[in-house]
Amino acid sequence: MVEIAATETATATKPKNPARKVGLLNRALMVLLLTVVTIWLVVPFTMAVLWSLVDPKTGWEYPDLLPPSLTILRWVEVWTTTALPQAIANSYMLAPTVAVSTLILASPTAYCFARFDFPGKGFAQVLTLLPLVVPGFVLAIFFSSLIFSLGIYSRFLSILMAHCVLFLPYAIRIMTVSFGQVRQDLIDAARDLGARPIAVFRAAYMPALLPGILASLIIVFIQSIEEFAIAFIVGAPNFTTIPSILYSYLGYNFIRPNAAVVSLILVVPNVLLMLGLERLLKSANPAQAGGKG
Amino acid sequence: MNWRRTLLIIALLTPGLGVIVIMIGSVFYVAVMQSFGFYNLVGEESFSLEHWQKVLDSKQFSRALRYSAYIATVAAIGSVTLAYPIAIWLRRPFRGSLVISALLKAPLFVPGLVASFLFLNVIAFHGIVNQFMMWIGVTDAPIRLQNDRGAWGVVFLQLWKNMPFALLLLTGAVQSISDEVLDAARDLGAGSFARFRKIIAPLTVQAMQAALIIIFIGAAGDFAFQVTAGPTNVQSMAQYMVFLKDSFGRWNQAAVVGVSLMVLALCGSLVLAVLSRALLRSGNRW
Repeated sequence: MVEIAATETATATKPKNPARKVGLLNRALMVLLLTVVTIWLVVPFTMAVLWSLVDPKTGWEYPDLLPPSLTILRWVEVWTTTALPQAIANSYMLAPTVAVSTLILASPTAYCFARFDFPGKGFAQVLTLLPLVVPGFVLAIFFSSLIFSLGIYSRFLSILMAHCVLFLPYAIRIMTVSFGQVRQDLIDAARDLGARPIAVFRAAYMPALLPGILASLIIVFIQSIEEFAIAFIVGAPNFTTIPSILYSYLGYNFIRPNAAVVSLILVVPNVLLMLGLERLLKSANPAQAGGKG
Repeated sequence: MNWRRTLLIIALLTPGLGVIVIMIGSVFYVAVMQSFGFYNLVGEESFSLEHWQKVLDSKQFSRALRYSAYIATVAAIGSVTLAYPIAIWLRRPFRGSLVISALLKAPLFVPGLVASFLFLNVIAFHGIVNQFMMWIGVTDAPIRLQNDRGAWGVVFLQLWKNMPFALLLLTGAVQSISDEVLDAARDLGAGSFARFRKIIAPLTVQAMQAALIIIFIGAAGDFAFQVTAGPTNVQSMAQYMVFLKDSFGRWNQAAVVGVSLMVLALCGSLVLAVLSRALLRSGNRW
């Protein structure tokens, strides 16, 4: 606050023209950028919504700028005649399982990174990023080769394992920050007051960890819903997820309205979750979480 | 460090780091061994360089390698070049800057396949691009823009998806440069390009390298953009690898392509990291 006030006074005492120039420049840049962003985001998404509502009887062809008539028929048709409900069920069963398992696997390592010092810690932290630097399809193909040779035939279990490994770096990173925010004085105070380990955990750890736990669950959940390479290579052809259904409409038989419906089903819930996450990360204030200002 | 503490640390690291190392290590091992004729799903296993020879001799492979290297380089350098000015502009908050930065980062949360689909609609025959070109009189009839031979579509999608990521990393780095340093440079007479070259770029080089490397690796291994929006006369490395595996189950040859793709990702990111640092050094000697 003090800093902002100081900057404001400083700008106020300077000659007026440069400040106004900067203000005008910013405004001009903003108008330009908002135009670009409209073309960048609003137009493509509006077109997707329109495509999902195109009436199959009238279609939407050149030279019509907008579809002649709209209907929700496509949504009903995709829902009743394709494997989409099963794919949604698969995706939404897989993602929470992946999110919880990844959190459980990541927490001990994150705790270790945040609360212990040991030789080679920096190297160990870099190693956790390995899944992010192996190209997705290489991982998918040779993971499927590995599980065949191990004799694991459950697609759900295979994708679950691969997704856990793939998204562990995110969970470890987030939880390391969270464990680092647990205040040693609170732990000591709780212990001095005779609290048992569970009470110490609830009083000192939980408030600092909760935003991190939720953030990790949401990020891994979204990533797992959206992941395509492993779900496609390992799951095909029996286990379909939402991205693999979308791929089938974009690939050999390109069905634009169906792809529009599936795209929206894939994106909209995740955008809502991301907005929730944004709020969560803003509230993840260490001082607040520690109970002191 | 006593042995009890050591054991505790190992026990804590095992479920997270241990699982990562074992799993990624095994996948890497399987890929390398398969490329030399082992781990066959069917048939005899024996050491052989035949698969390497077959793949390296094929024209399709060298085209795929060159194509993926090209897309990855353009995506990495292009995204960082576009993101830098925006990150510098957004360095100090102003009214509306948060909204702008959120809107700019939105493509980060759009899955690749959805991004492809959105793009295909925009460039369709009656998409907004064709309609606009006809309106301004560039063309009389809509042009086929999908799967263009120059891979402009794929490059555009890569930039659309990756620029926000570069922006995310660079904004954090640029914001951590203190005003005093930049003001001092300005007082000493440094213009905006000199301030960028001598202060901002060297102080944000790590974030820049991270962005370059991660974008390069992602774009080198691209499958979704290439299959949906890419040129049909050339395959990307990932597409070629999946093609080999799916056509007559040529797993060993797919493994050769997979290992080559990993080598490409590693070499490319190393070259970019070293080059960006070297360029900065030579820039500072001027």
